[in-house]
Amino acid sequence: MLELQGLTKHFGGVKALNELDLTVEEGGIIGLIGPNGSGKSTAINLICGVYGETAGTVHFRGVLMNGKPPHQRLRAGIARTFQNIRLFPELTVWQNLWVAQNSPQDISRQRFLPRWFGTTRQARKEIADLLELADLAHKGDELASNLAFGEQRRLEFARAAAARPLLLLLDEPAAGMSRQEIDDLGQRIRRLRDSGVTILLVEHMMELVMGVTEQIAVLNFGHRIAFGTPGEVQSDRAVQEAYLGTDATESGPAGGSA
Amino acid sequence: MDGYVITVLSNIGMISFIALSAYLLLVTGEISFGQQAYFGLGAYAAGAATAMFGLPIWAGILIGVGAAALVAMVVGALTLRLGGLYFSISTLAFAEMVRLILLTAEVQVEVDGEMVGPDGANGFHDIRWMFERDISLAEFMLIIYCLLALVLIVLALVERSRLGSVFRMLGSDDLLAEMQGINTVRYRILAAGMAGGIAGIGGSLYAHFTTYVEPQFFNVMLGVHALAYGLIGGLGTAFGPLIGVAIDIGFLEAVRFIQGYRMIVFGGLVAVLLIFMPRGILDEDRVHRLKGWFSRRRHAGTRGN
Repeated sequence: MLELQGLTKHFGGVKALNELDLTVEEGGIIGLIGPNGSGKSTAINLICGVYGETAGTVHFRGVLMNGKPPHQRLRAGIARTFQNIRLFPELTVWQNLWVAQNSPQDISRQRFLPRWFGTTRQARKEIADLLELADLAHKGDELASNLAFGEQRRLEFARAAAARPLLLLLDEPAAGMSRQEIDDLGQRIRRLRDSGVTILLVEHMMELVMGVTEQIAVLNFGHRIAFGTPGEVQSDRAVQEAYLGTDATESGPAGGSA
Repeated sequence: MDGYVITVLSNIGMISFIALSAYLLLVTGEISFGQQAYFGLGAYAAGAATAMFGLPIWAGILIGVGAAALVAMVVGALTLRLGGLYFSISTLAFAEMVRLILLTAEVQVEVDGEMVGPDGANGFHDIRWMFERDISLAEFMLIIYCLLALVLIVLALVERSRLGSVFRMLGSDDLLAEMQGINTVRYRILAAGMAGGIAGIGGSLYAHFTTYVEPQFFNVMLGVHALAYGLIGGLGTAFGPLIGVAIDIGFLEAVRFIQGYRMIVFGGLVAVLLIFMPRGILDEDRVHRLKGWFSRRRHAGTRGN
């Protein structure tokens, strides 16, 4: 579904991402992990078109995405969330979801005026369902800026779903969450996958990554150093060194990674 | 009403257009110091249409609006990639360019044995449509306020629609809007065109109200005031900038006795207001709370009946 080939990004002299090859199959949950500065966020930003790549290609469902602006990539089916919550604080919770309904289905099946004035019954019902799912049903008329932190996270997640993505890029969705909220998030992610969305999860919280993903790619210094199932990745020597550092004497087991 | 009051009220009405123009761009997150250029272009284009080519005033206003909107869209497209200060500076530079062109432009035609048209630094005289038809100042004021009401209705519909949300999205997080599937380029150009057109209406009316326009009127102070109105009155609703205009022209006309200190008082007022209300009197949060209050009252009313 998503195919990255030789994807490279340099910022001046800094090589943020080096020839990343990654194939994401439809219907799965893929983890993308690595220490800080290893290029995870750069990869996400390249996939959704925030940056232009230095070299390499991004194919989505067989279509070359290079050079396409983010709004076209969203309409093609790539949505994302952000490491730091990004909502539209001056808009209400309801409006935040409403303006995200920009999938080709949403645009083509609604007439101009109902779409522009938000009166399409089907679209309103979908927003109501998303609010329900995000436990925000009674908060629809609040300004997004007045929500609590956890509510804002849930709204961001719901907004990503409102775009009807085929591929959802989650950029550290668990940051700042409590244990309970992380368990909750894991369930939301699985439920979304079960509804047919492919998920690429960038995350530091290893319990979440190991718990929900089926395959994991590990980046370090802009290079992919490992790819495999959670179990394989955990026992990979290069991964252990990336996270724990190389033992000066090269002796002793580097167990208990992550 | 005496002539003085009518003139002040008409000025409030006409200046409101440029205030709304600057407001619309402020909502989309752009600080333009150049909306006076579209006011000026509207004034010259509409004046030319009626005085030089004998068209009715409605055609004149349409031409003024069209010319202003078109130029604004071109400028909007050219300044798309500029953010913040760079955008502001380039709009200012463009407006000064327009002013200087109007200062040198001499395009006159003979109408009834007289030369009519822009005459460089001497301005554009004899835009006499209103006087030739014996339309009184009071009647013209009515025209001004009808058009202002029309613009406000359109802006209220925009605010109520997806377009209003999109404009606010551009203002708060351009990249995020793009990643929600919004073609930000298209909407920025649209906003620039709408803002230019609204300023153009004000200019078209101004030319016919005063019968005489000169490039010096469209200097940067007009643009700065236009910005200040939105910032004072608030960015939460189109009524915000109108409050700003009323405060500036209404209040300051009322305290004319301080004359020379007028601008000092105005500047101080703006500074104090912005310290305590950074997004103006009617900011998004207050507008939202007012709306909530009104809808609760309405619900309470229906329950009472």
